[in-house]
Amino acid sequence: MTKENTTHRKGLGRRRFLQLAGAGALAAPFAGSFPAPAIAQEVTVRWWYHFDNPQHSPAELVAKFEKENPGIKIVAESIPWGGGNDYYTRLFAALVAGNAPDCAMVKLNNQARLVEMGALEPLDDMLKGWEARSDIAEDIWQLNRASDGKQYYLPLQYVVLYLYYRQDLFDQAGIAPPRSFDDFLKAAKALTKDGVYGFGMRGGAGGHDHWGPFVLGGGATFEKGGMVSEKALAANRWFVELGTKEKVFPPSAPTDGFRQIIDGFKAGRTAMTIHHVGSSNEMVEALGDKVSAVPVPRAPDGRGWTSFGDESNAIFSASPNKEAAFRWISFLSTAENNVAFNGFTGQLTVTTSGMADWKLHPKRFVTASEQSLAIAGVLPDSPKTADFVRTVWPTNMQRALLGQISPDEMMHAFEKHFHG
Amino acid sequence: MTSLVTAGARSRAFMTPYAFLLPALVVTAAVILFPVLQTAWMSLHDFVLFRPRDVPFIGLGNFERMWNDEVFWISLGHSFLWIALVVGFQFLLGLGAALLLNQSFWWRGLARSLVVVPWALPSVIIGLMWTWMYDFNVGVINDGLIRLGLISEPVAWLARPDTAFYAVIVALIWQGFPFFAVVVLAGLQTIPAELYEAAEIDGASRFQKLVYVTLPSISEVIATALLLRTIWVANSLDVILVMTGGGPGYATHTLPLYAFLKAYSGMEFGYGAALALVLTALLLVVVFVYVRRVAREIGR
Repeated sequence: MTKENTTHRKGLGRRRFLQLAGAGALAAPFAGSFPAPAIAQEVTVRWWYHFDNPQHSPAELVAKFEKENPGIKIVAESIPWGGGNDYYTRLFAALVAGNAPDCAMVKLNNQARLVEMGALEPLDDMLKGWEARSDIAEDIWQLNRASDGKQYYLPLQYVVLYLYYRQDLFDQAGIAPPRSFDDFLKAAKALTKDGVYGFGMRGGAGGHDHWGPFVLGGGATFEKGGMVSEKALAANRWFVELGTKEKVFPPSAPTDGFRQIIDGFKAGRTAMTIHHVGSSNEMVEALGDKVSAVPVPRAPDGRGWTSFGDESNAIFSASPNKEAAFRWISFLSTAENNVAFNGFTGQLTVTTSGMADWKLHPKRFVTASEQSLAIAGVLPDSPKTADFVRTVWPTNMQRALLGQISPDEMMHAFEKHFHG
Repeated sequence: MTSLVTAGARSRAFMTPYAFLLPALVVTAAVILFPVLQTAWMSLHDFVLFRPRDVPFIGLGNFERMWNDEVFWISLGHSFLWIALVVGFQFLLGLGAALLLNQSFWWRGLARSLVVVPWALPSVIIGLMWTWMYDFNVGVINDGLIRLGLISEPVAWLARPDTAFYAVIVALIWQGFPFFAVVVLAGLQTIPAELYEAAEIDGASRFQKLVYVTLPSISEVIATALLLRTIWVANSLDVILVMTGGGPGYATHTLPLYAFLKAYSGMEFGYGAALALVLTALLLVVVFVYVRRVAREIGR
């Protein structure tokens, strides 16, 4: 009896459910037809970004954009950066899986890989009709252009690496900030004493920014044979010996990363280091007037090289909303919006009008950045560059600094990586 | 008619357990078997993530490359040393901690909860914490050793090839010993007090009680914990990745880390898959022993 009852009740339940479902299915087309026009117009643009400070949010910019562009909804997704590895691993995986955002913040060292995948949408046609295009300096456009001549990247912000130095220690030693490699070596040797090291060198990932000014500036190139020319080998030997022979690097240099070089400099353990304007406020907070900056030193022949730290937005070719995505990324690169954006990232605006009245960093660091633009360069637009930066450079640099391989073997490894 | 019904009922009775198992089997196949087969298939190709349209089949090419790859052999050697030292010391420390925690003292409850803390912390936090403790400029370890007069100037623990590997091992031992402590402690509490009383009557010393009563009684537990931990430690790369990224040079490369770097930094998924497959094959030996033990215990 009980069992029968249960079955009966269950049966009723199922029947009732079917009735309701049927009614729902019949009602659905009518329910959908009324609000449909508004929904059909609404376009959602998914955008990936990364800020170093997770407390910063682009919500205000999104709200402003959505107000100015009714019908476009921006879904801004914060993706962990993880030194670049986390971000790009997710991006490439999403692209291969067909679930990529419409647009995303991207850097030049991955442009070649993305182009090779056919993942990027050329922006040239859309840029023609964009009135704020000329507010971004021509050399920035130039640096961001792909090797096939197309413009896939819309510049968003930039930094240029320069030399931080301890004004007070230089004054005490009676020396001027270095302009040439010779000056640099003299200063580094003079300032290496009493537990202070002349140059806080970054040997961990990202440290190619410290190696570039001396070795690429000293004559090495990424062309075939460019790493193993006499000039290149000599420049690299000189640089490695700063650590192994002259001992002006702290012993921790082989694995020091961003945090270590900045904290070592702030703590007074190093007298010089190389980084960009993004760390200037932190430096001033710790050291006040004792810290200043100049462009990185130049080679004996007057050549120089420093890293141009780029950040752009790109649109993916698989996006169904390219037009709306372009409106969003061009909005972010327009004068006051771009200035507001750089407020979150601590970098420099790409717009000339925004730069005119810059308040985010002390003047001397902005000047050092601007003076460095003349020698600013980027690593080659090659699918092999990203792996060079992430593993090949650090591993070989570390082994050379530790005497496991010779400086020349290190350069041969680079040559082999790029040219087989 | 009757025989037909019986046959139907019999086959239904035969199928029922499999029907119940089916959902679990389907899920296992989807999340474990399929990815393993895909990895094996990938290892036979030159699959580079940013060249998704050009994935040539190269047979055993990746394995041949591995045979001639110096870094593979370095990483493999490190992996064996890594497992032996980490698991060995975690066990000794865990056993010691468990024996202490099995004594009665007034703050035993607190001590037992505190000992689990390293185990409960996320690996990335542990990696960062130890990185800063080892730091050359501001690390507490250098500071402490200098104050104690044991060293005259700071040591770059994570930047020297002779110390980096062991420095990371110490961090991992610290992270994992609570697992042994908790498992062994649970084992200790199953030992009947009569055994100790009998040993005492026979005049056994404390050490003899440990060797002849305690250890034999928990040998099963210890063996299972060692096998399980070996599998986990062999696979773990998060703490190394955070602390040194495999450097300086190849000083802290282990096999799973090398596979990870090849796949996610080099984007060479084919070669990364081949490396991972070799690690899996090596681990299968341990897994085989472990599963056999567990099956035997269930059989009892």
